[in-house]
Amino acid sequence: MTEMLMGLEVFSDALVSGLIAALMMLVNLLPEEISKPFQYAFMQRALLTSIMVGAICGMLSCYVVLKRWSLLGDAISHAVLPGVALAYLLGLPFFIGAFVTGALTSLGIGAIERHTRIKSDAAMGIMFTGAFALGIVLISKIASSTHLMHILFGNVLGVQQSALLLTLVASVVALLVVWLAFRPLMLYAFDPTQAQALGFNTGIIHYGLILLLTLTIVASLETVGIILVVAMLITPGATAHLLTDRFKTMLLLSMGVGVGSAVLGLYLSFAFDVASGGTIVLVATGCFFMALLFSPKHGVLMRLWRHRQVEG
Amino acid sequence: MKPLCESAPAAIDITNLYAAYHRQPVLENINLSFPAGKWTAIVGPNGAGKSTLFHVLTGGMSPLRGRVKAFGEPIAFHRKAGNIAYMAQREAIEWDFPISVWETVMGGRYGHMRHDPLWRRLLPARWYAASHRDAVHKALEDVNMLALSDRPIGALSGGQKKRVLLARALAQQAKILLLDEPLAGVDPPSEQLILDVLKRERASGRTVIMVTHDMPGARRYVDHVVLINRFVRGSGLPEEMLSTTKLAELAVSAIEQTNTDQTLRSSALALR
Repeated sequence: MTEMLMGLEVFSDALVSGLIAALMMLVNLLPEEISKPFQYAFMQRALLTSIMVGAICGMLSCYVVLKRWSLLGDAISHAVLPGVALAYLLGLPFFIGAFVTGALTSLGIGAIERHTRIKSDAAMGIMFTGAFALGIVLISKIASSTHLMHILFGNVLGVQQSALLLTLVASVVALLVVWLAFRPLMLYAFDPTQAQALGFNTGIIHYGLILLLTLTIVASLETVGIILVVAMLITPGATAHLLTDRFKTMLLLSMGVGVGSAVLGLYLSFAFDVASGGTIVLVATGCFFMALLFSPKHGVLMRLWRHRQVEG
Repeated sequence: MKPLCESAPAAIDITNLYAAYHRQPVLENINLSFPAGKWTAIVGPNGAGKSTLFHVLTGGMSPLRGRVKAFGEPIAFHRKAGNIAYMAQREAIEWDFPISVWETVMGGRYGHMRHDPLWRRLLPARWYAASHRDAVHKALEDVNMLALSDRPIGALSGGQKKRVLLARALAQQAKILLLDEPLAGVDPPSEQLILDVLKRERASGRTVIMVTHDMPGARRYVDHVVLINRFVRGSGLPEEMLSTTKLAELAVSAIEQTNTDQTLRSSALALR
């Protein structure tokens, strides 16, 4: 048993170093002024994590935007906090606790919504603020406020090997699920009634998507933090929605926006010595406003121009 | 003389069905059979439970009680086998979704794709889906929408949207077609086109069941009529069911029902 675990560790270390080496080959193609910060090992780890987090958050954000789940994403991400604290108290890996409380809260929201007269937005507001408050109380008892700040706002420059590995596993799982269940997921987002009529189990699709969302949030915890992961789960998808009328293109664009803003944000945060999570989200927000103004199909400027043409 | 439809085998058999929303009964003691290979119209006032009946048939709602069979087997089996196509009312769909007319209609094939081997499903659509593509092509041709197949669905007019949803149901090539008000809010040419398409579908042996408010259309085209207002108010040939007396009875039942509901509600208030 111990030998197997050791073997697994050696394998995962080798996998991560291999990925980083491949990534560095690409980075070294860039001019030296740009690639310079990535000579540090912590920057290399940060780069790999950011790329993965940007990709899966971007991918999931399409479903979040189209299903109008923004508030649900917000709720799950906050509900993760008490899980982190409880896992620390029980001596478990933090992601197990985070995943459990995140999933429990989303189930609780669904139950309140279905069985009482409370509407879904209120149900979410109550559940996630409650869970978040519990998390803050627990953490104030067991850890320093710097630690709390890292969980809330992320610290991609301090990503450890274990967190990197978790992000890697979560990314592979999320990508595989979306690839294999691409059609049912799209149909469920577009027209759940039709999915049901075709005999798809929409309950499984619904909760599967919520679990996937929880997994993504847990995997992004150390990079952008609980508060800002919500932005990464909404902004890339909303940006892509402004740019295209094809779902596949939207997925790819959204992943591109996610990865691009994660990488650029990481670089800028190093260059100007500012908070990484915030910088990443600011870059994504910048992308959104660019799309809002300049999108050839659904942009504000294009719309104004078309109006003028009609009037003229 | 026994009406012809009743001797034909049933596509859907409903026994002793009860359904409710938030403890408000919507359908009570429904016993119905829809003849196979025929075109049936379901007629009833607004709020009579017609759409609810379809929700039960398509798995969107579980009944309180009762049994629904298709061709003698539980209807869930036929749903999974892709034998039941459903065209919902327009409002149920997210029209802002980034999807083209072609991809929307391809959605009708997803049930069948599930039965294809996994390795094929992983291929890009271009190589994998020849038979599915043919079905989509034909369905779009049938509803005269092939020219617009690259359009995003959000950019279509009301009548065009209906035709695309009909095409999606047709592309499924299912044994049973369930259509919830396929003619509501469409322009007269689209209406004629939809009726002609459904006529052809019936002629090729499919069972067509539609909810409609269009009495002249129903009189002209359908083989069988079901009158519903919470209870089954009649089931039989169009000439009988759509006679002025029958329709007047149905209208009276609607008024009576509103009255009883109101009496019940006021007595409940009085008890409080």
